[in-house]
Amino acid sequence: MDKNKYLLLWSSFAAFIVLVIAALSDNYWKDWQQIQKNARADGKTIDVKLRQIVIPELNTTDRCVSCHVSMAPGEQAMTGHNALLAHKSVVHDTSSFGCTICHGGQGLATEKDDAHGNVHFWPEPMLPKEFSYAGCGTCHTPLSVPNLNTLTKGKTLIERYDCLACHRMDGRGGTIRPDGGGMEGNDLSYIGIKGYDLAWYSKHINNHNEAQTGTWRNSFGEISEDDQKNIASFLSTRIGAPKLIEAKALFNSLGCMGCHKVNGVGGDAGADLSRIGFKDPGQLDFSNVTAQHTLANWLAEHFRSPISLVAGSQMPAMGLSEKEIELLTMYVLSLRRRELPSSFSPKDRAKVIQFKEREFATDGRTLYGTFCASCHGRNGEGARYPNTQAFPAIASPDFLAIASDEFISNTIRKGRAGRRMAPWEKDGGLKPNEIEAITKHLRELGKTSFTPEITPPRWVKGDANLGSRLYKANCSGCHGLKGQGGEGPALNNKEFLGSATDTFLVQTITKGRRNTPMAGFENPSPIRQALSQKEVEAIVTHIRNWKGE
Amino acid sequence: MSTNTTNQNRSGLEKFWDNLRALPEYFRGTAFRTGVPNTDRTRSSFVFGNLFLHLHSVRTHLWSLKWSTTMGLGIITTAAFLITLITGVLLMFYYKPYPDVAYLSMKDIHFVVPTGRFIRNIHRWAANIMVVTVILHMARAFYTAAYRKPREFNWLMGIALLAITLAMSFTGYLLPWDQLAYWAITIGANIAQSPRELTDALGLTEYIDPGGLIRLLLLGSDNVGPEALIRFYLLHIMILPLILAMLMGVHFWRIRKDGGLARPVDAESRLGVLPTNTYPVFTQAPAKTYQLAAVVKGRTPLVGRGPESTVPSMPHLFYAELAVLMFTVFICVTLALISDAPLKELANPSVPENPAKAPWYFLGLQELVSFSAFMGGIGIPTIVMIGLGLIPFLDREENGTGEWFGGTGGLDVVKRATFIGLAVPIFIETIAISFGWIREWFPQTPQIIVTFINPATIITLAYALYSIYLVRRYNSTRAGALGLFTCFLCGFLVLTIIGTYFRGPNWVFYWSPLDWPKH
Repeated sequence: MDKNKYLLLWSSFAAFIVLVIAALSDNYWKDWQQIQKNARADGKTIDVKLRQIVIPELNTTDRCVSCHVSMAPGEQAMTGHNALLAHKSVVHDTSSFGCTICHGGQGLATEKDDAHGNVHFWPEPMLPKEFSYAGCGTCHTPLSVPNLNTLTKGKTLIERYDCLACHRMDGRGGTIRPDGGGMEGNDLSYIGIKGYDLAWYSKHINNHNEAQTGTWRNSFGEISEDDQKNIASFLSTRIGAPKLIEAKALFNSLGCMGCHKVNGVGGDAGADLSRIGFKDPGQLDFSNVTAQHTLANWLAEHFRSPISLVAGSQMPAMGLSEKEIELLTMYVLSLRRRELPSSFSPKDRAKVIQFKEREFATDGRTLYGTFCASCHGRNGEGARYPNTQAFPAIASPDFLAIASDEFISNTIRKGRAGRRMAPWEKDGGLKPNEIEAITKHLRELGKTSFTPEITPPRWVKGDANLGSRLYKANCSGCHGLKGQGGEGPALNNKEFLGSATDTFLVQTITKGRRNTPMAGFENPSPIRQALSQKEVEAIVTHIRNWKGE
Repeated sequence: MSTNTTNQNRSGLEKFWDNLRALPEYFRGTAFRTGVPNTDRTRSSFVFGNLFLHLHSVRTHLWSLKWSTTMGLGIITTAAFLITLITGVLLMFYYKPYPDVAYLSMKDIHFVVPTGRFIRNIHRWAANIMVVTVILHMARAFYTAAYRKPREFNWLMGIALLAITLAMSFTGYLLPWDQLAYWAITIGANIAQSPRELTDALGLTEYIDPGGLIRLLLLGSDNVGPEALIRFYLLHIMILPLILAMLMGVHFWRIRKDGGLARPVDAESRLGVLPTNTYPVFTQAPAKTYQLAAVVKGRTPLVGRGPESTVPSMPHLFYAELAVLMFTVFICVTLALISDAPLKELANPSVPENPAKAPWYFLGLQELVSFSAFMGGIGIPTIVMIGLGLIPFLDREENGTGEWFGGTGGLDVVKRATFIGLAVPIFIETIAISFGWIREWFPQTPQIIVTFINPATIITLAYALYSIYLVRRYNSTRAGALGLFTCFLCGFLVLTIIGTYFRGPNWVFYWSPLDWPKH
């Protein structure tokens, strides 16, 4: 019985110790308690208590402010721990938005690793600091974002015209006051939301003309109409997230939406990206990612080499620079589109989702950049990726000289059945005026106008048998024995045969396309003879015999 | 106390003062009416005068107090149950049994409720300990042949308690409403639906569908959803604990009525000389057995016994019980301090876990289910339960009762049965894993054949045949039972280990989770 007594004594004693340790560690030794104990606001201590921001509409409870006390509503700046730094000033105050809606992470948690979401089984870790702007995408969808070239141009113009002498923008400029004393120009960082006086230019130039000396005289000058337009387009993108806009502008230059859908618009070949930024890192294969296992690193690695991360991926490695990869990663991370109650749903999102307004600018250049550039090259030079068909160089002057606007826009509208080119008149595709804009842009890229044909669409009457032989010998290697396409485009295609005129075909064979594998057959090459006009017509006759299955 | 005369002379206020001073002693007297338990008489009345203690006999045989007799397994199980009861009630203050909200309340328990995570850890560890010890306790009762007359019925109670313990644990598994819970319960519910495999094979499902009905009754809907959660919650916190408590009462009461724990006929002589610091009573042959002989039917358990080495339950038994209880508490809180109960992502019906695994104690069954849903889910568990229940009614031998591995065959049979019990499932599993089964060999085989000829049934059949062989060889039912029970334990062990550690996505065999294909 003594043994039992000792067992009872010692196990009671040990159990009691464990309980005391558990009670202490849960009630006194928590990190957030230590931080609050050591915090000093104006030299005074603060109440040690669990702090949280609860936003019932968003279904969030953010206990982040238990450590980051200074970021809680109504708290002042504190010293004592790095976590106590105040939040930089932003449009959204924490009391009505909380923390996790923008930053991600686990708001319910009260321990660092859990709260930052860098733990197993929490699908939405915090966005890394350098990608903080991606958080905007949880609710917002920036509208009418141009391509990167246009955006950069606008930015350069603002700098070149010295606007930042009086105005502040994205944390820069606004140091000189006009006339040395008056009001400085307003902050342009949020001008895209707040809007501005459309007559600003005439007012500015008036001031300039009236002033004899001083800033108005020296720092302002005439601005051409084109530049005014560019500046206006740039200003409309100043919504307080310059880095995100830059990232989206890059996205709108790489042609991603030729294959991917975002918010219901885009191609169908790739994955829908509308919510890709919410992908659970726990569900991803990191075996080929050497960097830390975060979604951002996975995406970056994926842009470097899609096939090594996603087995069977059709996405080509785009050969992006590291800077571009970082920007693209940020944009893709921003594609979050969380379900929101109507009271929290911002206007821009409603415009895109309900009213089908465009997220991208609808000038030809941006449209081309958004939808076409990945396959046809950023300047229409065509592209060729391993394991894919070659994509035509649609800005080739040789092509543009013989292709009518109707032929081009028809191609965009109907696509090429059986090939990668989608019919863009589809739902989630392009509007007629947008297709027109792209066609126009192609002409600008190739700097070539169409010479109207004087011949009727169908005039060739050649020897089909001869054509068949010649086709087999000269064309089938690239275009396929039955014109089904291969290295070269498919010719036995209903849409193509329907809109290509005989002259187009004859000219194409005769002149070829410079800087592509398609050589002109009017000249001999080291391995074959030139084709006579009659032989070319025979080939066209043979091609015309196909029905376009 | 003053005498009556002086008392009468005292003023009312003085009397009040006296009463107030005497209050503690007076109160003690009313609460513990029998006084300090320091004599045989007061020790006895200490036990039967107390609601909570009187389930015990006032005297306990020294054999029962030997550590090796029970290893305290029953008490550990009871203690674990009490711990889950207390921590469970604490958790109920914060837990909200509705999908999504349930998960959030789990997060609150983890992160905000002071020691909430610790309490949940204790609850989880105590529950797991309870499942383990209830099985070990059954094994103890079996191997000491304690189920024999007059304890046959209590053995059945024990089996019922085992089933309810598993049900308690299983119903609690869903409550966190995380991915682990959701998919484990989905798998569990599909196991419950397994009779459908048989009715499907016979083409009867559209007329009679017991599998679907069980699943529907369990989940209250076609899928694991709010209905399932509230059902599981109610079962977990009220219905099953009440049944469990009631059956425990019966189980304990029967221990006493069946004459205490089973012990060998010659327990007295085996105990030898008693230690000096015990307080034996009734060392002479009892003049009578202190039973209500006129009321009790048949002979009482004490008739025909000589002088017995019994000691007062107070303090001998109670110190032992308390010590085991506190030791269990210590183990639970220590485990809780060093190991967190799992909580995965919020349940997401559109993202199945792969592999989705049932709670560990059902992984043996899940392994069998992977061969045949019907056999693994219903057929074999039923056979096992019936087999276990029949043991005391078929084994009516008397030699070896109360001894470890007692009875014909003894430890010899157990050793050999352990070998067979381990070898058969490992061998059959090796074949099934390396070469597939009938379906892989002859894809056209009708389901009904696979249902009845599969690794699960073959293992069971091998065990049964071996057991019959033992009965014949030793000419003893006990030998057969020893073999069968040992095989059953070994099979449970092997299959559970395979299911837990060696099954990966799509229930494919892997040596290690590191070899699992990535998503």
